[in-house]
Amino acid sequence: MLSRVVLSAAATAAPCLRNAAFLGPGVLQATRIFHTGQPRLAPLPPLPEYGGKVRLGLIPEEFFQFLYPKTGVTGPYMLGTGLILYFLSKEIYVITPETFSTISIVGLLVYVIKKYGASIGEFIDNLNEQKIAQLEEVKQASIKQIQDAIELEKAQQALVQKRHYLFDVQRNNIAMALEVTYRERLHKVYKEVKNRLDYHISVQNMMHRKEQEHMINWVEKHVVQSISAQQEKETIAKCIADLQLLAKKAQAQPVM
Amino acid sequence: MASVVPVKEKKLMDVKLGELPSWILMRDFTPKGIVGAFQRGYYRYYNKYINVKKGSIAGVNMVLAAYVLFSYCLSYKELKHERRRKYH
Repeated sequence: MLSRVVLSAAATAAPCLRNAAFLGPGVLQATRIFHTGQPRLAPLPPLPEYGGKVRLGLIPEEFFQFLYPKTGVTGPYMLGTGLILYFLSKEIYVITPETFSTISIVGLLVYVIKKYGASIGEFIDNLNEQKIAQLEEVKQASIKQIQDAIELEKAQQALVQKRHYLFDVQRNNIAMALEVTYRERLHKVYKEVKNRLDYHISVQNMMHRKEQEHMINWVEKHVVQSISAQQEKETIAKCIADLQLLAKKAQAQPVM
Repeated sequence: MASVVPVKEKKLMDVKLGELPSWILMRDFTPKGIVGAFQRGYYRYYNKYINVKKGSIAGVNMVLAAYVLFSYCLSYKELKHERRRKYH
C-alpha cells in the first residue's frame, strides 16, 4: 500500500513519471527527488557591521527620510517640538516631582554614554574578538589535524610501492636457509661415511697387530723351549767370563 | 480598481487607504498567525539593531523608551489628578 502512495507522489512530483504509475507497484522503486532547490544561507552571510541608523538615540533614520520629501530637513524636529509643547500645554504630560528626577537621571545617562560609550564598545569588541580567535584556533587545529592525517595516508600509500624490497629480503633469507640446511646435511653425510670407513680401517689394523703379537709370542715360546738346560749353563758361564774381561779392561782404563 | 498585484500580497506601506479594511481582514488571525507575526516583528527588530557587530545603545534605548511610554499611558489615569490646572 505504501509503495502505491509513493508512486502517486512520484507521479505528481515528476510528470515524466506519470506513465510509470501504470506499472505494477513492484516494478518501480521509490524515486522521489530531494534537494532540488538552491541552497540558501550557505555559506552563512557575515553579520552586518553597523545597525540601523538612529537619531538622538531614539528615533530611527527612516522616520526622517519618510518626512523629508514633504517637509525638508527641519520637519521632524518641528514636529517633535510641536508635539512636546502640545503635550505640556494640554497637560497630557503632567509635570510632577518625578519629572525633575527624570531630567537629572537622563542628563547623567547621556553624559556618561557620550563620554565612555566608545571605550566600553571597544572593550566588548575585544572580548568578542577573543572568542572568535579561540574558535578560529580550534578550526585551524582541526584543519591541520586533517591535513596531517592526509599526508600520513599519502606516505603510507607511497610505502606500498616499496613493498618489493621486503619481498626480496624475505626471498634472500629463505634461499640462505635452504643453502645452510643443504650444507649441513652434506657435512653429516660426509661424517657418517668417514665413520664407517674408519671403523673398517681400525678393524684391519687391530687384526694385523693381533696377528703380529701372536706370531712373536709363538716364536719366543718356541725359542725358549728349544734352549736346553745344558746350553743355558754354558751360555751363562761364557757371559760371566766376558764380563770379567770387561771389568779388568775397565779397571785398567781409569788408572791411566 | 484591478491592481497589478493582488491586495493579498502587498506590504503595508504599498496598500492604498481604500484597500486598508480588506487588507486587515485578509490577515491571518489564527493563533499560529499571531504568534508568527510577533516572531517576525521581533526578528526584524533584532536583526536590524541588535544582531550586528558594532551595535550602539540605540537598540536597547528604543525598547526602553517604548516601555516608558507604555507605562505612562497605563498610569495616566492616576496622574490626571496631579494636574496643576483644571481647564486647558
